[in-house]
Amino acid sequence: MSEQWRLLQTGYANAFANMAIDKAILVAHSNEKVPPTVRFYGWAPPAISIGYFQSLVEEIDINACHRLGVDYVRRITGGGAVFHEKELTYSIVIAESHPTIPKNILKSYARVCGAVMKGLQQLGISSEYAPINDIVTDGRKISGNAQTRKLKTVLQHGTVLMDVDVDTMFSLLKVPNEKIKDKLIADVKQRVTSIRHCLGKEVSFKQVAGAMKGGFEEEFHVDLIEGVLTDEERNLAKQFENESFSTKEWNQRR
Amino acid sequence: MQSRSIYKVPQGKLLKITLDYDETKNVITNIRITGDFFVYPEEALEHLEKKLKNICLERKELQEQISSVISKYHIEFIGLNAESLAQGIMMCVS
Repeated sequence: MSEQWRLLQTGYANAFANMAIDKAILVAHSNEKVPPTVRFYGWAPPAISIGYFQSLVEEIDINACHRLGVDYVRRITGGGAVFHEKELTYSIVIAESHPTIPKNILKSYARVCGAVMKGLQQLGISSEYAPINDIVTDGRKISGNAQTRKLKTVLQHGTVLMDVDVDTMFSLLKVPNEKIKDKLIADVKQRVTSIRHCLGKEVSFKQVAGAMKGGFEEEFHVDLIEGVLTDEERNLAKQFENESFSTKEWNQRR
Repeated sequence: MQSRSIYKVPQGKLLKITLDYDETKNVITNIRITGDFFVYPEEALEHLEKKLKNICLERKELQEQISSVISKYHIEFIGLNAESLAQGIMMCVS
């Protein structure tokens, strides 16, 4: 019989709650309170997340975010700024010591990305892993991923783009050189794609989630059993949301 | 004196450095290293920033100090490395 992992479908939440829930699962799993967990979620309102090492004010036009009703949050993972709107976001939390997870960090990125690629394949989209942390189809990015390792536990989360709005994204992000902004936007439009663009039709969040469930099960040879956050996880998440992710101290720390 | 640099690490990520330094003594007084790279463990980057204070703005000395902090704190960089960090810092003063 296959190993059973937990699947959480937490639906849409705001940026602070979303990041807090991922961290709460990491802590709960490190205390052996919950099984390895795969989570699918979305963002409402839309939000920008920045990598742990990025400078908030250098990356994001905060006034534009306020004007357009877009939240912003610093992740506990490194990597770049992401505009989360029409996408499915996944996270996976699993002990570093689990035999299925390569000790080598880059290899473990590739392994988890393999699950996303198998999920995309179920939707009819062939893709490949593009180190360091992207998945591309026909050379264009369809998924970005970021991993941290804390408390002997791996947390990787990433996006699966269902649709993409590069113009809105660039109205929210700062660019190092305003003069070349138009060219940059044109370049990014060439380099990024989405499920809708690949298939020429809208695919629902539920359909993408179904495909991704299959992808993770196939990659890791497990059964994902739908579950819920424990009370302890919900309390931890509330605590992390209030004490860090929603605070100026956390978000503007760099 | 404050200076900034933006450096695309070859085969890596975008490194942004804000450097405060003492021109007469040619040493770093404060440094902030930002960008879309990965550091394991993440908190180690703040140690590295502290350990670069009062270090001489010479490429060789910078690389040695960065490498020694990397080994002391068992830091793993992805999309960044000691040479590129030294390069980004030296770009602030060149």
